[in-house]
Amino acid sequence: MSQSLRPYLTAVRHSLEAALTLSNFSSQEVERHNRPEIEVPIQSAELLLQPMHISRNENEQVLIEPSVNSVRVNIMVKQADEIEQILVHKFTRFLEQRAEAFYILRRTPIKGFSISFLITNKHTESMKTGKLIDFIIEFMEEVDKEISEMKLFLNARARFVAEAYLGEFVY
Amino acid sequence: MSDWRRIDIDAFDPDCRLTANDLIPPYERQVTLQELQPKMEQLRTLSSGGDTRGAVQLITQDPPYSADDTTKNQYFQVVLETLSQVRQADIINIVKELNTEQQIVLVKYLYKGMSLPEGQKQGGILLAWFEKLTQSSGVTPIVHYLSDRRTV
Amino acid sequence: MDKSVLSVYKLVKAPIYSHCLSQDKSLLAITCENNCLIYRLGGRHPQLVATLENHDKTVTAVDISVHGRIVTCSQDRNAYVWEPLSDGSYRPTLVLLRINRAATCVSWAPNGYKFAVGSSARIIAVCYYEQENNWWVSKHIKKPIKSTVNCLSWHENGVLLASGGTDGFMRIFSGFIKGLDSKETMANSPWGSKFPFGSLIKEQYQGGAYIHDVQWRSNIEKVAYVAHDGTLDVLDYQGNLQSVNAPDGLPYRALLWINDHEILCAGYNCHPVMFSEASQGWKFARDYDKIAAANVLEKTATGSSTSSSQFGSTQDEDNDENPTFGISALRKFKELDLKGKVSLEQKESAHENAIVSLIPYAESNGQITQVSSCGLDGKVVLYNI
Repeated sequence: MSQSLRPYLTAVRHSLEAALTLSNFSSQEVERHNRPEIEVPIQSAELLLQPMHISRNENEQVLIEPSVNSVRVNIMVKQADEIEQILVHKFTRFLEQRAEAFYILRRTPIKGFSISFLITNKHTESMKTGKLIDFIIEFMEEVDKEISEMKLFLNARARFVAEAYLGEFVY
Repeated sequence: MSDWRRIDIDAFDPDCRLTANDLIPPYERQVTLQELQPKMEQLRTLSSGGDTRGAVQLITQDPPYSADDTTKNQYFQVVLETLSQVRQADIINIVKELNTEQQIVLVKYLYKGMSLPEGQKQGGILLAWFEKLTQSSGVTPIVHYLSDRRTV
Repeated sequence: MDKSVLSVYKLVKAPIYSHCLSQDKSLLAITCENNCLIYRLGGRHPQLVATLENHDKTVTAVDISVHGRIVTCSQDRNAYVWEPLSDGSYRPTLVLLRINRAATCVSWAPNGYKFAVGSSARIIAVCYYEQENNWWVSKHIKKPIKSTVNCLSWHENGVLLASGGTDGFMRIFSGFIKGLDSKETMANSPWGSKFPFGSLIKEQYQGGAYIHDVQWRSNIEKVAYVAHDGTLDVLDYQGNLQSVNAPDGLPYRALLWINDHEILCAGYNCHPVMFSEASQGWKFARDYDKIAAANVLEKTATGSSTSSSQFGSTQDEDNDENPTFGISALRKFKELDLKGKVSLEQKESAHENAIVSLIPYAESNGQITQVSSCGLDGKVVLYNI
């Protein structure tokens, strides 16, 4: 693991550990509702806790927004050039369309981020908190690798296509 | 008034819900930028003189909780400068000398730094601080940070 | 598993938010989704004897009075008092709570003639039985509660009621009901001279951190509470507050006075922790059933914690390597992929998820010797203290 990636992931891990201390909390605003407070637009301020912003540089950031019964984890994946932008967009979109299979994945990311997770008290009650954190950390490790692999593959493919195409014009 | 169905009637009830402003503890008075100037000067002299330990001790004591946002941001620039001047090898020892209160203040500065574009450029340094902090006292300062309503 | 663990009962697959025992410790009541389950203890495994199912939303709390009456409250805004009948079944009576949000916690007064219900409607309802109407009616404590009430605790005198909530205040109210309580019980109370119903006796601000649990120690007139900032705080009638941080940082959800100078806490760290009062104030004493030897880091933590500071962990830890960091999940996954099983055997504590309530199981000479806990993993665990 590269030198500055480790402190970055450690920071995310510890922040998540502290944030994933959720309790079952019924809505104060609406009768007989129990909703993730972080997703509610107008509501009591005391139910939201201080947001945690962790950034490795301008392009790689994580924003953890905790509340009394839910935590939203937003990840900005590194996008160095336009090809990576397209790849990240397609990749996260692919995952988001299958969000129900991932349980904690949010269908749309928060503005400014590539992908968002929403963890509620239902998740921490049915899954081990440690494993949830492991999953997010692993996702962050893997996604960079995945994107750069795809980019290499794409470039190789593009070269092959270009060769085959331009080969037509060689006499 | 055509949109009356969408009016949030609860908002007209003052006791209905707490707003972000209700949560901020009442401060006796607001600290102004002028009052902070001497402290900022002292910080600059300390860190340029190489006494980074003293400088970090100073910034983690009595942070300007009551100041307004622009003052806090200006003050933070100096804090960020100080933090980034500390050598990597010294960080762990400096962190160990802080008490719990000071560590909570430090973690507030670190999170604030990473949310601002100036701090994001220094991401590596702030993360190094963060790593050493969690190494020496675990998640305790972060848990305190979460529910602390006083911001830096 | 640690030797302090007496027995582990995996009762249900859903989280248990609250549990309680009858006076003679023969019956155990737990909350499970929309129901309350009653078990008979004594055999090797608890026997399910009754299911109380009148609620249509998550049951949040249950309590048994000295007379054996069970009260349950739920997020459907209702509370029921269940009268035990001779054939082992229970007859429910609806309580007129008059609240319009979820009920979050419930607690019988020590004499068993009234109980208090905390709610998300920013109200504490003190309920008592009215003979002429044949009904449980309630009186409200409203001011100055600003947010959901999380926890309640009655003083032994049955008048003082401590509460804590998400607004970050621990408050002590008077729950004096005319006709039920006599003024004599409060004659020499150090907390004040007049106790009209609903008056605020004391208020303690905890920096905005949610209060998760509060408990009285009546004979020494102290009240202890745990908050979301990972602290245990003890307040006495003079207003002296002593605060101590959790050694592993994560907040506690429950606390229990073991004796006048020891408090047991448990929460998101999944194992109970003992704090004791020394001459310099409260401090961490020891862990129960802590996962030992999970990695080297943990080992040094338990080794040094008794001697040095209250954050015993990682004091002499200088190396940058954290052995279990990050790759553990990946390694597990790969092993699963290659061999079809996980070889990484990790010892686990009795509770696999957060502990949310602690109650005494056995006492001798004013000292609690055995404690029962319930957790979000659907287990009830008995600990030897």
